[in-house]
Amino acid sequence: MQGAWWALGIAVASIAALAYYAFVVLPARIHRWRCDGLRAFARLIELRTQGRYGNAEPMAELASAVAQRLGIPLHERRRMELAVYLRDIGMVAIPYYILNKPTPLTPAERDLVGRHAEIGASITEQIPGLWHVAPIVRLHHVVYHEQPDAPLAAHLISALEDWIRVAESADADTAASVLKQGAGARYHPVVVQAILSEVQQRALDGVQSLTRSAALWL
Amino acid sequence: MRRQRIRSWMLVLGAAAVAVLMHAGVPFAQAQFLASFAGVALLAVAAEVLLIRYPLRPEYSDRGIWLSVSTPIVIAVILVYGWQFGVWLDALITLVAGTMMVYLRNIHPRWVAVNTFQSVLSAWAAGIATTAIFDSGSDVWSVAAAGALVLGLFVYMLVNGALVSMTVALAEGVRLRWVLAQTLLSLPRDIVLMTPIAFLAMAALHTYGAVGLLGVLAPYLALRQAFVLAARQQELYHQTIRSLGFLVQRAHPYTGGHLQRVSMWARRVAERLGLPPDRCELVYEAALLHDLGKTVLDERILNKPDRLTPAEWEEIRKHPQLGAEILRDTPFLAPIIPWIALHHERPDGAGYPFGLKGDQIPVEARVIAVVDAFDAMIGGEAPNQRRPHKRPLSLDEALAELEQGAGRQFDPQVVAVFQQVVREWRVQREARAGA
Repeated sequence: MQGAWWALGIAVASIAALAYYAFVVLPARIHRWRCDGLRAFARLIELRTQGRYGNAEPMAELASAVAQRLGIPLHERRRMELAVYLRDIGMVAIPYYILNKPTPLTPAERDLVGRHAEIGASITEQIPGLWHVAPIVRLHHVVYHEQPDAPLAAHLISALEDWIRVAESADADTAASVLKQGAGARYHPVVVQAILSEVQQRALDGVQSLTRSAALWL
Repeated sequence: MRRQRIRSWMLVLGAAAVAVLMHAGVPFAQAQFLASFAGVALLAVAAEVLLIRYPLRPEYSDRGIWLSVSTPIVIAVILVYGWQFGVWLDALITLVAGTMMVYLRNIHPRWVAVNTFQSVLSAWAAGIATTAIFDSGSDVWSVAAAGALVLGLFVYMLVNGALVSMTVALAEGVRLRWVLAQTLLSLPRDIVLMTPIAFLAMAALHTYGAVGLLGVLAPYLALRQAFVLAARQQELYHQTIRSLGFLVQRAHPYTGGHLQRVSMWARRVAERLGLPPDRCELVYEAALLHDLGKTVLDERILNKPDRLTPAEWEEIRKHPQLGAEILRDTPFLAPIIPWIALHHERPDGAGYPFGLKGDQIPVEARVIAVVDAFDAMIGGEAPNQRRPHKRPLSLDEALAELEQGAGRQFDPQVVAVFQQVVREWRVQREARAGA
């Protein structure tokens, strides 16, 4: 009977391992797989626009950290991360000459580029495993005072996108002041708060992770 | 003809299954009738909940296989009560769950019958194999019992996989070898996942009877989750490739289904060249995505009907490397990156981007080069893509041109095999047109 208890113990332990594998390890791995796959789409947009759009790598990591700060649950964080990779996919439908125009865009052209979120969402909706990401893709340039009820993840991406753009073209302080000025109007105030404290924390830690990866164009 | 074949296959399966059931007799007349029946009812419900759609490669079948994970319990029943019970139990479970699926998910009743026959035969095979090393009903806490358990699972999955593959191959008209490679690939993992559950089920049945199976329900859900996610992973892989393929078609519009067909040819060539099966699948993927880099280029150049200027050519010649660059951060597609980057290299060293020669170019890239060139010659692209000064060639003319380029532009061995493949395809097509 001693042997029986041993065998039972082993069976129970391996079932616990199975449960851990099925509910923790596999979902995480699947999420990684998805991100790996979507990275190809992000890179495609990045190459097509010579790095002006689609750039996802620095944003995905920072967005996850900020979302964790905001207490967004894991599944919603994962949805947001997928949206970070997919957000500019609508740019495939925008003509190349507009995306790469050296001179400033005309209002009509700017309007066309502005439709990439809507186009991207309708593309995303049609992919069976990704339809749930479409609402965030659609709202990834959401303006707070226009749609305060949009998902928090969308507000986060919208604000973070502007922060990264300004931080890259100018510096982090300018970017921070842009967000502060827009808080409550253009940006979700809670999101701004979280982004700024995350960034501050990183500056204190001496992390300089937000310089754009160089030499995109081969 | 395909219909006839599947019909006779079903008849053979059905006859064999009925023979097995008659051989097994009606074991429920024995003492455990009531307890077993409770177990059966429970299992039927569980199996209905637990049924999983396992996707095959999309070009084989959009339907996929419906997989129920009742196997561990069937094996446990075989070991504790004897194979006669196992066979009947599996038949009932598959029938009940299958009938539910007919109503719930709109599956054709024919598949329920086929599945039931397959289950009966698999359970029978597992039963015969296990009785060789273990007497049903004896002490389950022994090495012999554990060995018989693993053996039973193995035999069941093997036989079932083989039968299912045969059915899919007949129903979808694809090669048995391909489907078999797909279904048997996950066999070791499935056995590892199922063994603890089967052991627990066996111990519970032995100690507490059919009621003990209730205790197995929770781990069952975990097992199911593992299978669902494993299937999902497979699906994600195909979805990624499919979606990228759509983007390629958008940038470089081919006529419908054409890209798929040349990719099939590429795979067949790779197969004939003796590449391992998983490599052949990747050749298919790479052939589908070889022009991925064109999605990044200016569509005004791609769609230009006149001759291109040197600067525009320069732009076009970037596309192999751009395609590779797009896939740079996608590890599961890493093997095909070099093939995409090198699909415009030539054996004589006159290709681009690097001017590699002969054996420096991977054989997969040489295959894709031939298929791609052939496709361009026969005018595979949409009409607005055809250059006005080049009329599309007939199949024979294109094959002759390939032969002329063999050794300089193309790998002669690949060209020879490719010619064979295309000729066979044509014979098949004509046979089909005649019938």
